[in-house]
Amino acid sequence: MTFLLKHILNFFLSLRTAIWLLLAQIIMLLVGTFIMPMKEEFQNLHTEPLFDWLIESPVDITWWLWGAIVFLSLLTANTLLCSVESVIRKRAARQWLLIISPQVIHIGFLFMLLAHLLSSYGSFRGTAYMNEGSAITLPNGNELMLNQIKTEVDPSGYIRNWSADIKYYRDGIFIADDVIQPNSPSLLDGLGVYIKTVQMRPFPVVFVEVTREPGALWALVGGILFLAGMISLLVLKIKREDVPGER
Amino acid sequence: MLMLVILSIIFYVLGFYKHAFAYAGFLLQAVYISQRGLQLDRLPLVGPHDTLFFMSASIMLFAIPMAWQMKDKQRFMNSIFGLVIFFVLISMLYTPHNKPLPPVLTTFWFETHVAFSFFSYALFGIAAVLGILYFFRNGEAFEVFQYKAILVGYCLFSAAMIFGGIWAFLAWGTYWLWTPKELWTTILWLFYSLYLHARLRKQWAGKPSVVLGIIGFLIVMFTYLGVSLLMKSSHTF
Repeated sequence: MTFLLKHILNFFLSLRTAIWLLLAQIIMLLVGTFIMPMKEEFQNLHTEPLFDWLIESPVDITWWLWGAIVFLSLLTANTLLCSVESVIRKRAARQWLLIISPQVIHIGFLFMLLAHLLSSYGSFRGTAYMNEGSAITLPNGNELMLNQIKTEVDPSGYIRNWSADIKYYRDGIFIADDVIQPNSPSLLDGLGVYIKTVQMRPFPVVFVEVTREPGALWALVGGILFLAGMISLLVLKIKREDVPGER
Repeated sequence: MLMLVILSIIFYVLGFYKHAFAYAGFLLQAVYISQRGLQLDRLPLVGPHDTLFFMSASIMLFAIPMAWQMKDKQRFMNSIFGLVIFFVLISMLYTPHNKPLPPVLTTFWFETHVAFSFFSYALFGIAAVLGILYFFRNGEAFEVFQYKAILVGYCLFSAAMIFGGIWAFLAWGTYWLWTPKELWTTILWLFYSLYLHARLRKQWAGKPSVVLGIIGFLIVMFTYLGVSLLMKSSHTF
């Protein structure tokens, strides 16, 4: 039993394992890029959480995604164990920043995976057309009212910019107001309200999308950590790397 | 405006005779990009014409400081001129995108996402050139320079992906979309992650990792041009 455990641990602590898992992951995604455009089922993938969609969809078109999830899980274990082992083994080293930078990158990567995991379970996406004065009930119980749509139109009739004034109510009581603009959604109580298209004729109407992306914050944290580790590694590594025979 | 592009190509060709001409060609490229930026009142980074032209100029931008540290800069720079001319010529096959951008594209996150992507593509292109030179000249130095180019390129590419995710969340409500372009971008990122990890192992150091550095650029080209032209995605031209 101990022998087997040691074998498993050695497998996950190996850099070779990381390389082969990365290669396997690349192959899975590569296959996926050719299957995806050919199958209509993938059109619905944006409308529901990944895991719900995976369970409903036939395995003959989703096997590569299942494979990618398995390899990612193994890669997660490999990353985690390698990082812990590296910090323990090299903790006495002088170049502490050089030791810790790759581990910060790894932690950033793990946060990004956590973000995808959370979004794959609990994301939500709903759409509706709204005109001025209309209201919809959001999944968190709030009511959203579209107050006014404003646009900047150029001489050719092209909408250069737009904004929409909205109000939130709960049980008929006003709780907040906000302005939605391009790249500036309204975020409240875990939901994001986005305006996808604006049309002014024959009357002002917008296409609204309401989303919940539970992984977004973790993805941001992961991204910041990844970049911080990457920049510090870059500065240290570029200096250290010797070029044979060059000045 | 077209004259500037043609003149830059002529100067790059003359650069094979004397490098100073190619530097003048690079300056003309910078003038062309600035002119288009002023004309459009935004970064000219939309559509194949502007992006290919920007990438070709970026190749020179990164190759010049790299050449300062090299002994064999003649061969390196000549190869770079060839690559730059190739991309400028392809960019001329496409009509410049002069229409105003949809409001969703006029944001810092989009501009940095695209600019960083093409900076990284340029560095991956330089890395491929260095890889080819490694095999022709058997120069160990080229391998180290290839690694440096890929390391900087990987950092910029990661930043481009993260900024793209932030922009996508603010614009569309999600930081990830299931489209072939996103998958190919992830493949590219995983591939260079594989390169960086593989190079740490003895068995992969040297020739095998240099080959990976060359293959990487083929994936870059397919991710950029192949997917955008052949597959339906959020990045379709």
